[in-house]
Amino acid sequence: MLRFKNSWIIFLLLALFTVGLFGCGGDSTAPAGDENGGETPEEFEGEVLIGIMLPVTGAYSENGIDMQNAVFLAVDEINAAGGVLGYKITTTIGDDECDPAKATAAASKLVSEEVVAVVGGYCSGATLPTLKIYGDAGVPMVVAAANATSLVEENPGWTFMINSTGDMQAENAVNWFEMQGVETIGLIDDGSAFATDLKMLTKSQWEAKGKAVLTDDTVTVGEQDFSALVTSIMQAGPDGIYWTAYHAEGALIVRQLREAGYEGVIIVADGTSAPAFIELAGEYAEGVFCTAPPFADLNPAAAEFVTNFKAKFNTDPGAYSGLTYDATYLLADAMERAGSFEGSAIRDALAETDGFQGISGEVMFTERNTLGRSNFVILVVQDGNWAFAE
Amino acid sequence: MSFWEVFLQQLFNGLLIGAFYGLVAIGYSMVYGVIKLLNFAHGDIYMTGAFTGLIILGFISAGIANAWLAIVISLVLSMVLVGLFGVAIQRVAYRPMLKAPRLSILITALAVSMIIYNSVLLLTQGQARPFRTGLTGESFYVGALRLTETRVVLLVAALVLMFLLHMFITRTMYGKAMRAIALDRDTCQLMGINVYKIIAVTFFVGSSLAAAAGMFAGVYYGTVHFFMGFLIGLKAFTAAVIGGIGIIPGAMLGGLLLGLLESFATQIPGVGTVWKDVFSFIFLILFLIFKPTGILGRVESERM
Amino acid sequence: MNDKKNLNKITQNLDTLTARFNDFAGNKTIRIILFILAFLVLVYIPITGSRFTQEIMTNMFFYIIVCLGLNIIVGFAGLLHLGYAAFIAVGAYVTGILSAVYGVSFWVTLPLSVLAAILAGLAIGAPTLRLRGDYLAIVTLGFGEIVRITVRNIDITGGAIGLIGIERPVFFGITLNQISHFYYMFFILAILAIFVSYRLHDSRMGRAWQYIREDEDAASAMGINVVTARLYAFIIGSAFGALAGSFYAAKMTAISPESFMFLHSVMFLLAVVLGGMGKIPGVVLGAVIVTLFPELSRDIGQYRVIIFAIVLLLLMLYRPQGIWPDKKLISTKK
Repeated sequence: MLRFKNSWIIFLLLALFTVGLFGCGGDSTAPAGDENGGETPEEFEGEVLIGIMLPVTGAYSENGIDMQNAVFLAVDEINAAGGVLGYKITTTIGDDECDPAKATAAASKLVSEEVVAVVGGYCSGATLPTLKIYGDAGVPMVVAAANATSLVEENPGWTFMINSTGDMQAENAVNWFEMQGVETIGLIDDGSAFATDLKMLTKSQWEAKGKAVLTDDTVTVGEQDFSALVTSIMQAGPDGIYWTAYHAEGALIVRQLREAGYEGVIIVADGTSAPAFIELAGEYAEGVFCTAPPFADLNPAAAEFVTNFKAKFNTDPGAYSGLTYDATYLLADAMERAGSFEGSAIRDALAETDGFQGISGEVMFTERNTLGRSNFVILVVQDGNWAFAE
Repeated sequence: MSFWEVFLQQLFNGLLIGAFYGLVAIGYSMVYGVIKLLNFAHGDIYMTGAFTGLIILGFISAGIANAWLAIVISLVLSMVLVGLFGVAIQRVAYRPMLKAPRLSILITALAVSMIIYNSVLLLTQGQARPFRTGLTGESFYVGALRLTETRVVLLVAALVLMFLLHMFITRTMYGKAMRAIALDRDTCQLMGINVYKIIAVTFFVGSSLAAAAGMFAGVYYGTVHFFMGFLIGLKAFTAAVIGGIGIIPGAMLGGLLLGLLESFATQIPGVGTVWKDVFSFIFLILFLIFKPTGILGRVESERM
Repeated sequence: MNDKKNLNKITQNLDTLTARFNDFAGNKTIRIILFILAFLVLVYIPITGSRFTQEIMTNMFFYIIVCLGLNIIVGFAGLLHLGYAAFIAVGAYVTGILSAVYGVSFWVTLPLSVLAAILAGLAIGAPTLRLRGDYLAIVTLGFGEIVRITVRNIDITGGAIGLIGIERPVFFGITLNQISHFYYMFFILAILAIFVSYRLHDSRMGRAWQYIREDEDAASAMGINVVTARLYAFIIGSAFGALAGSFYAAKMTAISPESFMFLHSVMFLLAVVLGGMGKIPGVVLGAVIVTLFPELSRDIGQYRVIIFAIVLLLLMLYRPQGIWPDKKLISTKK
């Protein structure tokens, strides 16, 4: 027999909370760019809302916050220059916490708040289920970082990825290894979606050339001791090592490899290209290569971005802030070209993008909405800074 | 590298990491011994020790020329500070819970762990910090073994600390009292032992050892990171259980064994770095099934 | 000292408040009216509510189901489980793999997912439940990590990238693929979960669990096989979790290891403890608070977990019985 004595209150509470939600649903559409200047939009014709979907809380918040800051910087600059089509850009944040379930909720929230477009997308696994939500709602999204193959395959056509695909990055690494005369390589990733994807692509490309992958390892995020890994690599003796994940573990691995006497070619992927890598790895970072988009610091056009970023947020831009900055500007550019804030118009304008120069390189899309041209170059650490190699 | 070279190197790796595990496991074991609590926050104390050491070192290294001296001073200060921190936690969160059901105090420990972990996460914005020591990483060879000055010093330091602890436990009154409380807390109280004070001391010692291990990790690996406590906490618990929870020599032994096990596990084809942690956990579960009291443990009967 | 007095005051106020509610509920007619009202509101939501609201509510229902399942283990049987997310993952991945890779119909995967959970529960529970409760905590934690790492590294589960292409369930000819479909589905499941929880609570096994929780030795002396009873709780709780996981997989159509981490296990536990371990309305309340609270204030975002952790700590210290008091308990607890 159901005990009604207690269960009624369950339903009452559920109902109460729902009412509360309805009420609060309205509030959260208020201009919410916390870091945006709160100037009165008198010279603006109105406001346009852009959604930001990033992991701003949780274990990946470092990158999430970094990318979010880049958006804020871009938005501030655009607004200072008169906004988009005379409208002031305001932003609202959907925190995906790098969790597919939370991402779905975040996407739904952004859609309910009637954003005209979304920028963001760091974790591929979390971004994936949101593609359909944005597609169904007719909201175009520019993904700044996530680039797993599954995203490309499941894209209903409303999402545009401006981070070069894993394939391109793998190709970059493979070519560089070849140029350095490397015959055998070892691969290391951290088990995350992006790193694993990149590793597998590199592996298949390398093996397609008839060359051998001697070691293939996955490390645990948060682990500090890689001595066992280093010893087995030394034992197998590959000519080159490719680390496909992020800087925290990357710095430790590089350091421990070099300390153990490993003298082969080390390449790290763009997730490790943050200046923090050099800081953490110290002198061991010298001579390490990186497959990355032309890093903000090295691009004269980007020098301004770096200075402004540092001035505003008191920290160096991270690995993906340049791309996110570009993504925001790209959206604004597409809206200008489309002459409207209508979803399908923006989408079409994005698809037609030609000759857009971002600080990470030129943007142009293929029919699958991926970056048309590989932006990747090879960087190398010289005198404690990233520089172009070759 | 020849088999022998690899073996030796992995042996040394295993001992070094095992020493770290051991230092942290001791704290776990000690606390479990006196209040039968698995202190989930212990791994986070290790992490706090690393950060505290980093901050102190940052302040004083400007004035002190010798890198090692600066490190030692920071180490001692960090150990004291974090030890006191551990005492504070115990006073605020655990002592009121001593008479509560086991489940409640475990959840409390979990809450404390989450608070420390997330506080550091917020303070560092999730970023790893470099641990600058001013030491050089030059390596030299002892036979086929590749070593650095740092590694040797740390290993020796860890062993020294463990030895000191052993002396403390077996020779001092505090140590005796701790062991007595581990056997029967209520009787100890009746016998006039200030149980609360001993518990505080236990936390102090356990926490400072963990802090030392944390600082060693910082010096050795060169970075500190809010996440470093989580994994170590699990491993240290595994080590403590393997050796015999509540038994301090057991914790040391368990730590070393676990370190060696992990090191050699990566050499097993099919395991490698990918499954290394799963391997350790399965090992833990097997131990719990077949010998829950650990290697040095005795089966204790519960007195009604 | 002052803080303690203040906190005691708060708990006393909470008690009076909820006691008043209970008095209010004493009137049967009012009870029924409120019940029907609330029910109608909930049923009505998908018709006018935004996608976002439905998404949140569906998530809330999912949380309720999960917490009720965990409640069987933690609340009823008094066992600390730190790896519940792993059992949800088991269910989700079993359904996911069978559906995405082998094309098996969703409904067929359900009993298999339950079976997998039962096996996993037995594997973990049988050896550890005869030991002290603290061990179970760490073993479940370790198991959670094992499942997560395994799932992330083998191909059949899609590896780190996750599993995509899970089929939507077909129910009497209708393919369930709208958020409103899932809203109702999870709503019904939540009601079922509540119903089953009450039945379990009042069953012989339920009473055995309560007895064991109150005084393990006395229960044992009375002839209750403590280990077996606990094992039952563990397995039933695991099955709950796996079922929830299977439906979750069907709704998301893509699952990845990031959804099943230690943090999730902790949040489930928090929800169970917050409302009052073992008390079904309390657990539901806890689940509701944990899911809805972050949505009510966006600025809190970063501090969400730490706030919850502090609340948990305060609860344990000053009000271990949770927010929702047991009517039987006259508050003299310290």
